[in-house]
Order: sequence, then C-alpha cells, then structure tokens
Amino acid sequence: MASQVTVFVENRPGRISKVTRVLADKGINIRAIMISDMGEYGLINVVASDPDGAEAVLRDEGFTVFRKYVIGVLMEDVPGALADVAEFLHKKEINITNAYGFILKEGARAVLIIEVEDFVHAERVLRKGGFHTLTKEELENL
Amino acid sequence: MDNTYWEGEIEKIDRRALEALQFDRLNETIARAKDSDFYRRRLPERVESLEEVETLPFTTKQDLRDSFPVGMVAVPKDKLVRLHSSSGTTGRATVVYHTRGDIEAWADLCARSMYMTGMRNTDVFQNMMGYGLFTGGLGLHYGAERLGALTIPASSGNSKRQIRLMCDFHTTALHITPSYALHLYGVFDGEGVEPKKDLGLRIALLGAEPYSEGTRRKIEKLYGIDAFNSYGLSEMSGPGVAFECTEKEGMHVWEDSFLLEVIDPKTLTRVPDGIEGELVFTTLRREGMPLIRYRTGDIASVYKKECPCGRTHRRISRIKGRSDDMLIIKGVNIYPMQIEKILMDIPEVGNNYIIEIDTVDYLDTLIVKIEVGQETFHGKISELEGLKRRITDLLRTEILIHPKVVLVEHNSLPASEGKAVRVIDRRGEK
Repeated sequence: MASQVTVFVENRPGRISKVTRVLADKGINIRAIMISDMGEYGLINVVASDPDGAEAVLRDEGFTVFRKYVIGVLMEDVPGALADVAEFLHKKEINITNAYGFILKEGARAVLIIEVEDFVHAERVLRKGGFHTLTKEELENL
Repeated sequence: MDNTYWEGEIEKIDRRALEALQFDRLNETIARAKDSDFYRRRLPERVESLEEVETLPFTTKQDLRDSFPVGMVAVPKDKLVRLHSSSGTTGRATVVYHTRGDIEAWADLCARSMYMTGMRNTDVFQNMMGYGLFTGGLGLHYGAERLGALTIPASSGNSKRQIRLMCDFHTTALHITPSYALHLYGVFDGEGVEPKKDLGLRIALLGAEPYSEGTRRKIEKLYGIDAFNSYGLSEMSGPGVAFECTEKEGMHVWEDSFLLEVIDPKTLTRVPDGIEGELVFTTLRREGMPLIRYRTGDIASVYKKECPCGRTHRRISRIKGRSDDMLIIKGVNIYPMQIEKILMDIPEVGNNYIIEIDTVDYLDTLIVKIEVGQETFHGKISELEGLKRRITDLLRTEILIHPKVVLVEHNSLPASEGKAVRVIDRRGEK
C-alpha cells in the first residue's frame, strides 16, 4: 500500500522550502508533491521514497504531520490513461477526494496518486479491473 | 481529634463571633494605619460599627504607586523584615512591606489553606511558582514549611528539571500555574514519563492566573490529581487570601484576616451576596502596611449558601475577569475569561490559542489563533474548516461577536511558562 505524508503549514514564505530541505538533508527523494492552499494555511502532500523516514524527520522538526494511505496507479504516459482510471472508478461508484500525478519517464509510464474514503475497497476493485496499483516497495524502488 | 481543620475554632467560627472579631480588628487596623503618611489624615479615629467601614475611603492601585516608596508604611523601619514588589510593567512599582508578625500570619493562612485541600505533613510539595519579588513562590513556601510538608523550592521554568525532581523525590503536591501545568504535560512524553503511572502526584494548587472550570478538569484528568483554585494578590500579601476546600465549589475567604466587600465598580456601592462585582479587601491583621478598602479590580461574586465543609468563612466564585482587563470590542463588554471558557470546551483547542484584537478596515476584529497539533490533525481540510466554523459559531452565539479564526502551526504561539498572556490588544499599535 502506498502512503503519503501530509504536513500542515502556515501560508507564509519559506515553509515549502523548509519542508523540502528537511527531507533533502535526510536523503529522502520526493516522488510527488501537491499543495492545497486554504488561504492562511495549506496542506503539503508528499509522496516520498521513504515515507517512514519522511514522517519521522518532519515530526522531529516540529511539524504537524499525518500519514495517510493512498492508491498509486501505474499508467502508461499516453492520452486518455488518466481518464480510463477515473471513468472506471466512476462506474464503480468510488468517489475520488483528491488526486495528483507524476510522470516516471516521459512517454513511458506515469503514476496517478488518488485519495478515496475506503482505500482497501478501492484498491481491490482497481486490481480486479486490471489496473496496476503500486505496493509500498514498488513505490520506494521506482 | 478532628483532623479536617488546621485551626477548627477559627475556621468554623460562628458568624456573629466572626463579625465581633472583625469589628475589633478593623479598629485596631485603623489605629495602626493612622501611623502612616498616607492614612494619617484620611481616616477617623475609629468606627462605631462594622457597617461603618463603608464610610471609609477606598485605596487604589494608583494610591499605592503615588505613595511609593514608603508612604503607607505604618511601623518604624527596624520592625520591617521583608518587602515584595510588583514588576511595575504598567506604571511605577507597588511595594508591600511586612513585619515578622506579618510573615508569620501569612504563613499560617497559607498552611491553613493547604491543609484545607488535604495536604498534610507527609506530603512532598514542589513549589513551581517564581521565587523572589513575586509573592506566589515565597508565600506558599512558608505555608508548606509551617504545615510540615517536605518542600522543594523548584521555582518556575526548566521543565525537564521539574520532571526530574518529581521523579527523584516522589512529589505528591504541586503549586503551579494552570497554563504551565498544561504546557508541562506535553514535555513528559519526551522524557518517557507517564505522570499518572510513574508519579505519585495527588494534589495541585493552581493559581496566579485566571482559568476556567474546563481547564481544571482537564488538568485533573491529565495528571490524575485533585486540583484546587487559589486566590491572592500581592497587596493582600499574596496567596492565602482565599482557597478552595475539598468541595471545589468556590474559595473560602479568610475573613478573620481580610474584611471582604463586593462593590459595583461604577457606582462604588456595595452589592449583595450572589451579585457580581469588584472585590474590595481591608487587611485585619497586617502591621507593616495595613490597607483599608483596597480595590482589587478583580470581578467575582460571593456564594449565598454556607459550605457543606463546615467552614463559616464566605466563598467567592472564580475571578470572572478584572475590571481593568475588560475588553470593549465593537461596543460589547467582554472579559477574556468568557472567550477562554468557550475555547476550553472544544477538545481540539486545548491550551494552544491566543486572542488578538486588531483594527481591520477601521473595525475592531477579534482574531483567535489556534495551533494545529498532532492529535487533532488527520490531513483533512474538511475537518480543519469544520473546526474553524464550530469555533466561529460558538463565539458568535455566546459573545455576539463574529471572530476571525486562524489556524497556525504547532509551537508557533508563545509558550506559556509562568503567567500566560493570552490576549493581545493591537488596536493601539498603529
């Protein structure tokens, strides 16, 4: 199961650089990053090469952190791949609460990170439907 | 032998006998006070009844400042053994002088108060209030020694050392500010100590700052102890003016030592028991610096009913606020305590908030800043926005003001070691 680390930050200069520098200093690679801006504060979602390490080091730095399981779907980097996943989940009546993606190698493979209410169910449904969802190890070794 | 009371005879004294005692002591006090420059021409020779105290002039904080440094001293210098002084952050310092007899009487009152909460000479008492000019530390220190408890003069601050002391000496009773008690709890985890399991704490005496019933319950639950409310002010020597008994329902004012009146701060006339007003005290035993009808600025009410504990000394409510820290926001009178009470009832808020009042587009704005801590954060925007909405709604219905709630990072607000400053009025800054 893939997971993301969500960090609460105030919306002021230097917070993103602080979070990313803390991870860099520990040799942790950021696979994907997505920021939800809520005005005076924001949430930074990070999919990292070492989620355990990322969570620990950010907590040590005094950040308020939450670890959440997410689904990472491996896709081909072609037009319509993302639409296929979204349509499939729609048909299965699974609501996506948050989503963002990143490309592994241009023109080859991409990963879609999705948040859902019941990720165990959603992941099972996706696998049955023939989609490749990433394990923790796969995500770490990409 | 009845071991409920420290001085049963005086604590359970018949009201009429108490009033007779107060009357005698009031006239003794007037006689002593007239030896000071300040009171010499202000006071009559004596009063003919206890009620006549109302004809005497008030003494204010400003009077204390104006008579700096020795205008209110009523004894020759060789009789004085100690002074305590306010920090003087809002004007010239106020100084209170004590004779040896004053120090002893004060220690007695503190011992009586601590005994009333259940403290005994078998307790180990860690005094976490500041020692020095501030009266909180030395006041209960002398009281605890008088009581016979093993006293650790830890003073305030240095959280890790405080925890070390508690572990090493098996502390059973604490004297601590409520905000520091909440702050300290967060430090225990890092030290690998679980207060409920690893310590033998049973009593906390909470004082030096106003706090709500919700805060008391929270501290009791976190530490697994009984917490007692304490009231005092340096002008009345310090702690030991009023204290809670084990009923935890109001604080008994030691009326053999302080004559209590409650007045309407605007009309300056007395209000009946049960009605909120400003507390006014006259010292009944002090020698070095007697004070007549001192206006405390503290707003509270007197309980009408007698206490089931058997003590006849009247009880006062929690201090609702100060007549001088009352905020006027958009024309509405608000005490910070009213806001605190609401916030304390929201579990996610806890101790980690600050209230700012600022002018935004020429309008008064109440800003409540709340730290987002680990235990309440689940990575969900909907949850955070829900919390903001809940706080906004509660404050709007309770105090009729639409606040701006701002979520801030953990540990970004000033830590509260010692007296917490939770209200910042920025309206005058621009």
